[in-house]
Amino acid sequence: MNFDISEEQQLLQQSVERFVNENYDLATRRKLVDSPQGYSDDNWSQMAELGWLALSFDESDGGFGGNQIDTMIVMEQFGRGLVVEPYFANIVLGGGIMKRSSNLELKTSLLPGIITGDVRLTLAHAEEQSRFDLDDVVTTAREDGDHYVLNGKKSMVPNAATATHVIVSARTGGGQQDKDGIALLLIDSGDLDGNHFPTVDGGRASELSLDNVRVPAERIIGDFNLLATAAHDAVLALSAEALGCMEVLYKSTVDYTQEREQFDHPLSDFQVVQHRMVDMFMEYEQCKSLLYRATLEAVQDAPTAVRTSHALKHLIGKSASFIGENAVQLHGGMGMTEELAIGHYFKRLLVIESQFGNTDYHLTQFAA
Amino acid sequence: MEIDLSPEDFEFRQEVRDFLKENTAKPGADYSQWRMDYFKKAAAKGGWDVPKWPVEFGGPGWSPTQHYIWDQETVTASLPWDMPFGIGMLAPILMNYGSKEQIDRFLPDIRERNVNWCQGYSEPGAGSDLASLKTKAVLSDDGTHYTVTGTKVWTTMAHMADWMFCLTRTDDTGIKQEGITFLLIPMKQDGIEVTPIITLGGAHSVNMVHITEVKVPVENRIGEEGKGWTYAKGLLQHERTGLAGISRSIVALENLKRQAQSVTRGNRTLMDDPAFRSKVAELEIDLLAVEFTELRSLAAAASGDDPGPESSILKLKGTEIQQRIQKLTVEAGGIYSAAWGVPVGHKFARSGMQGYLGGRANTIYGGASEVQKDVIAKNVLGLKRS
Repeated sequence: MNFDISEEQQLLQQSVERFVNENYDLATRRKLVDSPQGYSDDNWSQMAELGWLALSFDESDGGFGGNQIDTMIVMEQFGRGLVVEPYFANIVLGGGIMKRSSNLELKTSLLPGIITGDVRLTLAHAEEQSRFDLDDVVTTAREDGDHYVLNGKKSMVPNAATATHVIVSARTGGGQQDKDGIALLLIDSGDLDGNHFPTVDGGRASELSLDNVRVPAERIIGDFNLLATAAHDAVLALSAEALGCMEVLYKSTVDYTQEREQFDHPLSDFQVVQHRMVDMFMEYEQCKSLLYRATLEAVQDAPTAVRTSHALKHLIGKSASFIGENAVQLHGGMGMTEELAIGHYFKRLLVIESQFGNTDYHLTQFAA
Repeated sequence: MEIDLSPEDFEFRQEVRDFLKENTAKPGADYSQWRMDYFKKAAAKGGWDVPKWPVEFGGPGWSPTQHYIWDQETVTASLPWDMPFGIGMLAPILMNYGSKEQIDRFLPDIRERNVNWCQGYSEPGAGSDLASLKTKAVLSDDGTHYTVTGTKVWTTMAHMADWMFCLTRTDDTGIKQEGITFLLIPMKQDGIEVTPIITLGGAHSVNMVHITEVKVPVENRIGEEGKGWTYAKGLLQHERTGLAGISRSIVALENLKRQAQSVTRGNRTLMDDPAFRSKVAELEIDLLAVEFTELRSLAAAASGDDPGPESSILKLKGTEIQQRIQKLTVEAGGIYSAAWGVPVGHKFARSGMQGYLGGRANTIYGGASEVQKDVIAKNVLGLKRS
């Protein structure tokens, strides 16, 4: 039994931690969030140079042959720093789908650009009626000779405004909620109409309209199984990021309550405050355990891996809500301000809750 | 025990409904003109502009049931905006502890909504422990005025206020609850600097107020020097009961149900989802109970009794319920709750997130929930802490 990460992974962790410490104080982050693009090209290039964009790709594809543990390490540190560069959309979602694609020609043409950071992908799977169900797809892809013609609307697509390509799920056949008949297609982002806007955590998202978009048949990336695998990876990555956020929230709360005095005592002298923070700490540790479990199962491709990932996102959602709300509560009025970091971590956790299935959704999936 | 409305109560309810219907804003009407007209007409009904004021100060003298009816009917009506600081907070203190001159000077403007007030209580070092406040007021040698210096924080609407009612420290030699003095300070003068504080939802409603050597005539002191804490404490209780917002939560829950019905999951709606549905049901059950807790509290107050133990739980339960409704609204918004500043997807998702973020303050202001529980443990259950 060994829960230690390898020496290489330790170096990776330290390198991401250093990047976050050096580049992500709250004021710098605020500038990025307020900029039109929402993140820094310099940071993005630096991530490419440091090899983080290549981590999860096979060595034969120009990557480092990493797995979900490496992604977990990066995402947890990104959570600690509230990093806004589109690693999740590009590498976890887009890269994760492309590296598993059976369309080898498309894969070989795209992967080098993904690794250098020049090709930027995102995934458009959600629709207004689908809520969190990946297989509820109304967007159509009608075969027309050697092309497909796409029509429909996609919602809350992360970082679409800065993507070069968008991976879209669309229906080539079957009923609205059939897994069969769903295809993933690669579309040049110039072919899409987008309404781009900020998200509550300072990120960026888009509503996309597909109006008779013609896509060559050789741009088909894969089927529903590929989408489901991407969603599995997404849950692991978002949970790791959430864990990083929760760590900062509970530790800052422990620090703050020792500094802040009321009734001639530090707040941390009051038992009700102590017990609350012990509960926050316990939730955090439980999340960490289940994150390790779910990530290891995914690496080993265990038969229970998907079910455990549902358990993970459920627990993360519940704990994030408990830790986030209590961090704000115990910081009092200060926790309510934009000035303190607390609120920004809290808002990031709220968005993670809405991505790839919320707490209730994953409980239902787990119990099914 | 009697809970049914009497024929007179039904008649009253109809009268309220008719009044509210007649006085809604007409499309295209000038808002501030309409607002002023509304309060004039409400005053002409016999104190409907100040429902909670005692009869001797022009209030309507309603029974608890009538107050309940008014709250229920007005929560869905679009009344003109109104701030609680003058009408609901300062006015009762003036009535109880102000001099005749002060009542004549300040009450009419409060009633006519001519003057906006803000509350200068919390300080950077005095939040839950309000009595440790440090804003200093020094009486001049000739006894004509105080010189006030200090910092107030979380001051709602200070940037729009003409006056502040302010707790200041005139003596720091005894126990901290003594030596606090209640002063009325004009806001529009040199020495008062208002700095906005932007809160999680991106809104500006609270401020930091720096007060530097501001001279306040002794005529602006309420009651005796050093007794300000006693005056303010009664008011805090009043404020806390008002913060429960039960009628508003009942309406908010109905809205939530409608919103959840508009969210589809496959061929069903979110309200058909068993997990979501039972959370809504649990809220509804808590509301059924707390609504009667409020009525018991109102009835006790009307009969002149001290507020019973039931009033002490109103703020705690009421704010907890508000936050649960806000959270479920965000949940109902699903992926669209993450969008910021633009309406995409479900129409309610945008305000849902804003409400949830802003609502986190509900269990902090007016006495944080943890402190409220301390107060109940001590005053209601009679518990001591070592």
